[in-house]
Amino acid sequence: MNFKHFRSLALALTPLLATNYVAGQTHFSSIPTAAVVESRSINDWLMRMHESSRNRTYIGTYVVSSGGVISSAKIWHVCEGNQQIERVETLTGAPRSIFRHNDRVVTFMPDHKLVRHEKRESLGMFPELLQSTDSRIADFYKLRTEGVERVGGVEADVVTLVPKDTMRFGYRVWTEQKKGLVVKLQTLDIDSKVLEQAAFSELQLDAPVKLDKLVQMMGRVEGYRVEQPVLIKTTAGAEGWLLKAPVAGFKPMSCYKRPATQTTPISSQDSLQWIFSDGLASVSLFVEPFDRQRHDKESSMSMGATQTMTRQIGSHWVTAMGEVPMSTLRLFANGLEHKK
Amino acid sequence: MQTPELSPQNCELLSALADGELQQQEWPALLQACVHDPAASGHWNAYHLIGEALRGPGSSVRLTDASFLIRLNRQLARQPGVGPEFQTTVPVQVSMPYSSVVHNSAPTTAMGARGAPASNDGYFRWKRVAGFACAAVICAVAWNASVLILPSPRPQLAQSGALAGDTEPLQVVVASPQGLMVRDARLEELLTAHKQLGATSAWPVPSGFLRNATFETPQSPRR
Repeated sequence: MNFKHFRSLALALTPLLATNYVAGQTHFSSIPTAAVVESRSINDWLMRMHESSRNRTYIGTYVVSSGGVISSAKIWHVCEGNQQIERVETLTGAPRSIFRHNDRVVTFMPDHKLVRHEKRESLGMFPELLQSTDSRIADFYKLRTEGVERVGGVEADVVTLVPKDTMRFGYRVWTEQKKGLVVKLQTLDIDSKVLEQAAFSELQLDAPVKLDKLVQMMGRVEGYRVEQPVLIKTTAGAEGWLLKAPVAGFKPMSCYKRPATQTTPISSQDSLQWIFSDGLASVSLFVEPFDRQRHDKESSMSMGATQTMTRQIGSHWVTAMGEVPMSTLRLFANGLEHKK
Repeated sequence: MQTPELSPQNCELLSALADGELQQQEWPALLQACVHDPAASGHWNAYHLIGEALRGPGSSVRLTDASFLIRLNRQLARQPGVGPEFQTTVPVQVSMPYSSVVHNSAPTTAMGARGAPASNDGYFRWKRVAGFACAAVICAVAWNASVLILPSPRPQLAQSGALAGDTEPLQVVVASPQGLMVRDARLEELLTAHKQLGATSAWPVPSGFLRNATFETPQSPRR
């Protein structure tokens, strides 16, 4: 594997160049060639992880533990050529059947006899994200290998993506040894404490799952009311918003406007969602008109890895939300400005 | 709903049949009674409508017959001995508890709007109960139908606002490192939006997608 070459090359270069080698870490921040090696290794590793999810068929039980709540779901995943389809049946909380066919997502809510159709552009963005010259994941995270562990009945390599500054969280990732499927993922805070984790408790690789059967199930909407949320693609600039000081590593990815719906009091106003990402973590800035009754005081809150803070900017109410430390959200919220 | 030829006992049997709870030995008697009652199919439909209304948010009940309400009000107004204070409370008692609907609806809905005097016509209390039950049924149907008629844009809203049957957004208190926090419907809505559109990262699709899909959607409060 390419990554192994780079790792051995990196290890060979370390004593030779007498750089700052920290025990247990391969870290070459001060030497350009080594930085390139590191950048390629982290990208190669991410690419392998990405490819593995495309070329596997499996059935498993996925468990997510966040903010003291444990949720789980049964997963069916099939990939045939360019076609990728997934079925997720939640086992906790409200019953939901979620189907994803490439970038199309269909959510069945049997308790409300409702089905929601969505197109999620972000789901198809990955390889482009890494190939683009803008992608600087390696500038903000370093990769550290941590050995081998058994997860969901399979042997997995463990690596940690360590943030290079305090603006983002770290990740510990378990990838199945043969092809690199992610079988467990932890989000770590600045002190490496686990904020949130997700893992397969049971995994059946190369399981007999039929693509056409899942496609059929996905289209079975008789007896359901079908809704398609309205989202208008826009830019923050066009809506009069500006981030005075960019937050290190975070690039604006997209911006959407949600027209007001008159059905409930809480969504009766237009709202804006501006999305940022550093390649691994993402932040959403929600902007809506200030409402004295609902927006009583600015506050912050954390739920597992997801942090939230609110702020009033003139006649607007801003909610910053993301899988980043609160201090990073504060930079976003304080840097946001409305141009008249 | 207009003919009380079926005895209250048979009405109960018909209700049990609609609920799938009729005992086998009770079949012949009920069928016999239904054969001789031209209004039996009306009762049968009414029980299904009531059943569906009571079964909750997912039911397909639609309030299509607005004229029924008008006719009912007119009929009640014509009833001798029914005081004006009662008539004004008839149309919309939305806060009617389900239990009272269940108890009263089956045998008594047939009573309110009949031309020929019934054997218990002289008892004012009985009419009151009948009118009350009718109102309860209408309210139950209207309540559920109103939920269905208004399309809800997002599931979170549906769960916490409209389906809970109150206008105040549902608030859930959660534990967080900063102490107890309130998660309201709007926050749930934003969380969902962030998870859906904010998942713009290099994580391979399934792990990010699965994490978000698996993430628990709070359940609507049980009734």
